[in-house]
Amino acid sequence: MTGLLKRLFIWTIAAGLILPFAVVFGVSINAESNIAFPPTEFSGRWYIMLLTESDWLIPIGNSFTIAFFAALIAVSIALAANYVLWRLNSGFGRAIFALGIGPFLLPPIIIAMGASVFWAEAGWYGRMEATIISHGVFFVTLPLVVISRGFAALSDDVIDASRIMGATPRQTFTKVILPLVAPYVVTGYVLVAIISVNEYLISYMVSGFAVETLPIRIFNNVRYGYSPVVASAAMGFAFITVLSLLALSMVTDLLKLLGARRD
Amino acid sequence: MKRFALAPHLIGLYPLGMMVIFFLGPLAFMIVVSFYLRDPLGFYKVDFTWENYGKFFSSFYYSVSLRSIWTSALASLLTVALAFPAIYVITDMRRKWQLAWVIGLLALMCLSEVVIGFAWVILMSESAGIPRLLGWLGLWEDPRSLSPSRLAMLIGMVSLGFSLVALMFFPQLSQRDRSIEEAAQTLGTPPAQVFFRIVLPIFRPGLAASLVTMFVYYLGVYVMPTMLGRPQDWNMSVIITDKAVEQANMPLGAALAVIMLIFTVLLIGGFALATRKEGAK
Repeated sequence: MTGLLKRLFIWTIAAGLILPFAVVFGVSINAESNIAFPPTEFSGRWYIMLLTESDWLIPIGNSFTIAFFAALIAVSIALAANYVLWRLNSGFGRAIFALGIGPFLLPPIIIAMGASVFWAEAGWYGRMEATIISHGVFFVTLPLVVISRGFAALSDDVIDASRIMGATPRQTFTKVILPLVAPYVVTGYVLVAIISVNEYLISYMVSGFAVETLPIRIFNNVRYGYSPVVASAAMGFAFITVLSLLALSMVTDLLKLLGARRD
Repeated sequence: MKRFALAPHLIGLYPLGMMVIFFLGPLAFMIVVSFYLRDPLGFYKVDFTWENYGKFFSSFYYSVSLRSIWTSALASLLTVALAFPAIYVITDMRRKWQLAWVIGLLALMCLSEVVIGFAWVILMSESAGIPRLLGWLGLWEDPRSLSPSRLAMLIGMVSLGFSLVALMFFPQLSQRDRSIEEAAQTLGTPPAQVFFRIVLPIFRPGLAASLVTMFVYYLGVYVMPTMLGRPQDWNMSVIITDKAVEQANMPLGAALAVIMLIFTVLLIGGFALATRKEGAK
């Protein structure tokens, strides 16, 4: 009886999370040019439009460029912060780590507003570099936490062994630590890249009027009358996100990384 | 006493510098700008005025604030009430299914607010969504779009935060000590009672923390209210963005954001203090 209830509950949740995307998928493969579901005639024209029209290609390019560099910045900060905390384990290291948790604790609107006035003053308002740096700094929390799991998993034996055998701290880092934490670094990179591609508010408030990203493009489209191309763009997003995560799950043990029980 | 290690301190300057300049810097400068005057021709004029803060004390901002707080509280409560039992069930599934759920939840967490909002707009639309289905089934004579509305906005917000809460609880619930539950069950306690009288009390601190986190998170959402809500449902975030970007009044936007920042810091600080006191008991 309770087993049945449990199952019913979990299936309802799954349906509620998946249903919206099922409908969007239906709209995106419908040949009709107005939004309608269920589809009457199948067609891939909206996907072709998405991948051929510069209206959509430019935002796609912008989003990927921003994500590529922002993830580099975030991961480099997170790696350095974790290394320092691991080496020193002092107030200095902990303070840096705490600073990295900060962005996660604040409502995104405050961060976006701050970034907006900051870049206006610095004269980079409306430039892609501004969005890249802001994304890189504000999304540091996730790789910071993920990479810290990697450092926590380092066993002292290996480090001691490398030191006894005469490795300099630098050699220990590049030859021993880096290969061991690499999966965590890659995971952190992919997660930041995905989140950056998907982010709307900061991109919009820092340089939204000049650098149109894919979410900004979709948002504007939905606000001011839309065509099924938006549905294909949304599905493209969902596909890329799920595929990157699936790829990631092959490289690393996602469950363990997220803190599952070892069994 | 260890010898002072120079290299790690030098390396530490990089993350420290980046976070101070590009995270704390903007927040500090935002506070400065909130005292500036609006410049219709540019961004702002250097000044020192309380005018922007003065505007906050009006019935309009009063009602927007109350609405933001009420909506965020309701949404965070709903999200935790759904996500916690869900992840409780998921962590008892077989590993294969757990992985499927975790990938799905991670995808949802990363997926743009814009995309999730758009999906709900479609699902609630007259031409493609639930109203059409109900009309076709003959359950609704005159189907009309369900969004924008307050309910649509709340549903959008909950589906946005669900994955966050679920993933937040995943490690704790996955590693929990199952022996207490098993003991209770062996003694004949029904599973529902095990959940309410054993699992919930054990996770009370975590539940409280997730409620506060989600409350703060929902205070700052912008896309869901604009996409799925009506203007009378808009929260403070929408108003801030509207003032700063659409009306080009950065000082007022900054002042409103500073007020929200103070509110958030007090809330988180107060909560941290309260939990520390409880922990000391």
